[in-house]
Amino acid sequence: METLKFVHRISKGTRFNQIYIPHEMKEIFEVGDSVEVRLIEKRNTFYSSKKLELGEFKKKLSIEILNFLSQLNDVEQAFIVGSFLNSSDYGDVDILIISEKNLEGKVYSLLTERFGMKFHIIAIPKKRLEFLIKSCPLTRSMLYFFISNKKFELPKETVVDKGHIEFLLMMPKDLLEIKLASRVFYDNLRRLIAIGWFLENKEINPLEINKEIKREVKEGVFSSLKNNEELDEKAIEKLRGIIKAKIRKIEVLWERNELFKN
Amino acid sequence: MGKKRIIQELTNLLAKSLRHKIGGIVNKNEIYSQKYAKDAEILLKEAQKISLRENWNSRDKIEIKRELEKKLMKELEEKTFLDESKFNLASSEIIEVLRILELG
Repeated sequence: METLKFVHRISKGTRFNQIYIPHEMKEIFEVGDSVEVRLIEKRNTFYSSKKLELGEFKKKLSIEILNFLSQLNDVEQAFIVGSFLNSSDYGDVDILIISEKNLEGKVYSLLTERFGMKFHIIAIPKKRLEFLIKSCPLTRSMLYFFISNKKFELPKETVVDKGHIEFLLMMPKDLLEIKLASRVFYDNLRRLIAIGWFLENKEINPLEINKEIKREVKEGVFSSLKNNEELDEKAIEKLRGIIKAKIRKIEVLWERNELFKN
Repeated sequence: MGKKRIIQELTNLLAKSLRHKIGGIVNKNEIYSQKYAKDAEILLKEAQKISLRENWNSRDKIEIKRELEKKLMKELEEKTFLDESKFNLASSEIIEVLRILELG
């Protein structure tokens, strides 16, 4: 029999998804005929945060990674987050996975083998993530820019969990007493800004956080912080002053928050 | 720097590292810190560098353990926002960290 074919997209039905016979072929493909359905091309569906601007190379790679992850059992949803999305000097690709199982090791091995790149995997059960995106400034900042295989939106509603905020403040407070690598100072300045903006109910755009740090430290210090280069005592003391001021601001915001609640 | 001062510096870092680690375990929603920021690990690595500067004899090791127990208790008592179960984890975490640093 001569091969008669047409190419169509699968459409969504109320109970089942379906493929319609084109009108001009209704005399050829009739009810009761046997047909073979073959997948030609997987639909490249992805969802991203509104403000994300991704170049062609990164977009193509992201879709490939997300398609790959979509095929894995137990991966409910996958996100690409972090510096890969908005910086040219990313060290690895940060992947966030919603899963009830601890898949970090397995996903890491599969991705590394398939793409030959460095990945950092975080796997979180759905319920935990749902709580964190409302209550954790760092998680909200992490998901400010994302690309995902399923729809996602950061909820506007936030929940202030004092214990969690105090937990996040432990490291910046430790830095007032101990000297660690400059990158740790940088990460904790970012953390403090994120916490402050969270308490002020502002958006936590990681690129804006960097601008805020740049405004507060000299250009040379900013570059040393980002590149984890040694800083002299004077610069460290200046950073401690900024950290102290930011912690104080957070405490004031916290007190206001409490007053507002009462 | 004298050995006594190095022990002080080392146990300060270890007590803080363990406070972060224990806090991450007992506060159920600290996934971000456990998996992303890894504050406890950063502090432990710093402590590891200091620990490698010296050759420790058995008396030093006993002193390190004693100092660490004292400092960790103080750290945990001060952080009232951490769940009370934090105290149950202190001694096993001290044993574990000293084993990692070969100070056990």
